Amino acid sequence: MSNTKFLFIIVMLNIFLFSGIYSQSNIVFEKPVLITSAGQSADITLASMLCKKINLDHKAISTAKESDLSGIKTLIIVAGYSSKGLGAAGVSREDELKRIKSLISAAKNNKINIIMMHLGGKPRRGNQSDEFNKLAAEAANYMIVVKQGDEDKFFSKIAENKKVKIDLIEKIADGVNPLKSIFNLN
Amino acid sequence: MKAITQIRPILLLICAGVLTFIAAKEMLEMRKPDIIIPSEGLTQKRKLSDYLNNLLNTNGNSDIYIFDSGEPGANVLVLGGTHPNEPAGFISAVVMTENVRVMKGKLIVIPQACLSGFSTTDPLEGSPQEFFINSKRRFRFGSRVSNPIDQWPDPLVYLHYPSKQKLSGFETRNLNRAYPGKPNGTFTERVAYAIVQLIKKEKINIAFDLHEAAPEIPIINAIVTHEKGKDIAATSVFNLEFNGFQYALELSPTNFRGLSHREWGDATDVIPFLMETSNPIQGRLRGVTNQNLIINGIDKFYNEAVQLNRLRITYRVEGESLAHRVGRHLEAFIEIINAYNEIHPDNTIIIENLPNYGDLINNGIEKFLN
Repeated sequence: MSNTKFLFIIVMLNIFLFSGIYSQSNIVFEKPVLITSAGQSADITLASMLCKKINLDHKAISTAKESDLSGIKTLIIVAGYSSKGLGAAGVSREDELKRIKSLISAAKNNKINIIMMHLGGKPRRGNQSDEFNKLAAEAANYMIVVKQGDEDKFFSKIAENKKVKIDLIEKIADGVNPLKSIFNLN
Repeated sequence: MKAITQIRPILLLICAGVLTFIAAKEMLEMRKPDIIIPSEGLTQKRKLSDYLNNLLNTNGNSDIYIFDSGEPGANVLVLGGTHPNEPAGFISAVVMTENVRVMKGKLIVIPQACLSGFSTTDPLEGSPQEFFINSKRRFRFGSRVSNPIDQWPDPLVYLHYPSKQKLSGFETRNLNRAYPGKPNGTFTERVAYAIVQLIKKEKINIAFDLHEAAPEIPIINAIVTHEKGKDIAATSVFNLEFNGFQYALELSPTNFRGLSHREWGDATDVIPFLMETSNPIQGRLRGVTNQNLIINGIDKFYNEAVQLNRLRITYRVEGESLAHRVGRHLEAFIEIINAYNEIHPDNTIIIENLPNYGDLINNGIEKFLN
């Protein structure tokens, strides 16, 4: 193989591998923002507090429906299952899955960008949570994940396959920096 | 031959008598009260019967320790021993009682909310009856529920008052399924009612119910709160995380009745918080069940489960020691109070001399018992 051919293949391979990630990392996330939960964990309150800390105007509706997307430019889905949370919201697991699926579908149809946040670490992983985690992660254009919840690379692998950017943070509070950055609030 | 047949029943009777004597002695040991030596900050000691007269001269007449600064401020209630087989909740309340000085507002502590449950253990669990801290302070390890001697028999189905929610009959003696209680109800409903009356009469602003759960329970290391406490809880989860303590934030289900974090919040003006630590002695995987497991929290089967990656929660190889669990409760209590003070600057409470996690780990619980 000639040097020119080899160089050409390398360049093409790089373009092929990184074009998705590059384009996704440059998505502009805009306001207005709606935050909802996938699995009804109270982590939505933590996500909302992160947004408040950076003065990012938002609505937080744990059981948001398609109608709540009106005028919204960015949907933040905070993933993680909580049986107590489902009880607090008065919904079943099946209802919650159905709601999230139709919300994601409506967001896609309306070209609303989706951010997936997973803040609960290990306690929000496992059989009960992962169905919600997978749904939200696979629909996301960008993810913020507390590292402890990604020890098995569950989210990183999805990000890699979907070619979306993922920011792994040590602590929940560290979520302010990537949020500031993607909403251009620096 | 005839003499032997005459002696045999007598010997059997003597053996039965000796065994009965030993068992009775052990059982009566559980009626000996735990000694709690309050700090000099104590201003008043009351009884639950002060809030519901028909608890007088019953095993539901828990001691109430009041630390009133005399300065107007927030009123805070702490319950330990709602489940007497969850020692970190009980001992956290004891450590508070034996150390605190309140400079503003009022702190009320009930270390043994379900006093009756301290006089028995749960059948078939093989639990120890007591444990010692530094060999000089003895504390009882009791049952999850009230002693059947105080409330018997259990119905097949427990119908919660007033929601009519159905639960297993055993739960009829569970204090944390009995709120808001009933003044002329079962023994446990009366205890629950008295606690709710205390919250109302003392105008409690913020209340804590300290618990533990098996390591495999998903809500371990969690703060559960009523919807009106979610901002305080979220703020404290951030601050705890900043100090290296991971907590899950959970909202109280509206459709699961009888629990403190739901009923206290619905029936009164209080903002309730329930906290859980990881207690291997309650776990289904545990092996030898003795006081060493209470104090050190090391269990080889849990260690094995961790090695096999079969536990979702963080079980530490060094064990879930009582000092670690009590330290977590106190640390979370401090942070929730700080968050409450931050959000309600016009009605704060200032509590001094309460050890934190580091104090307990570095010096042991014994250093903070009088």
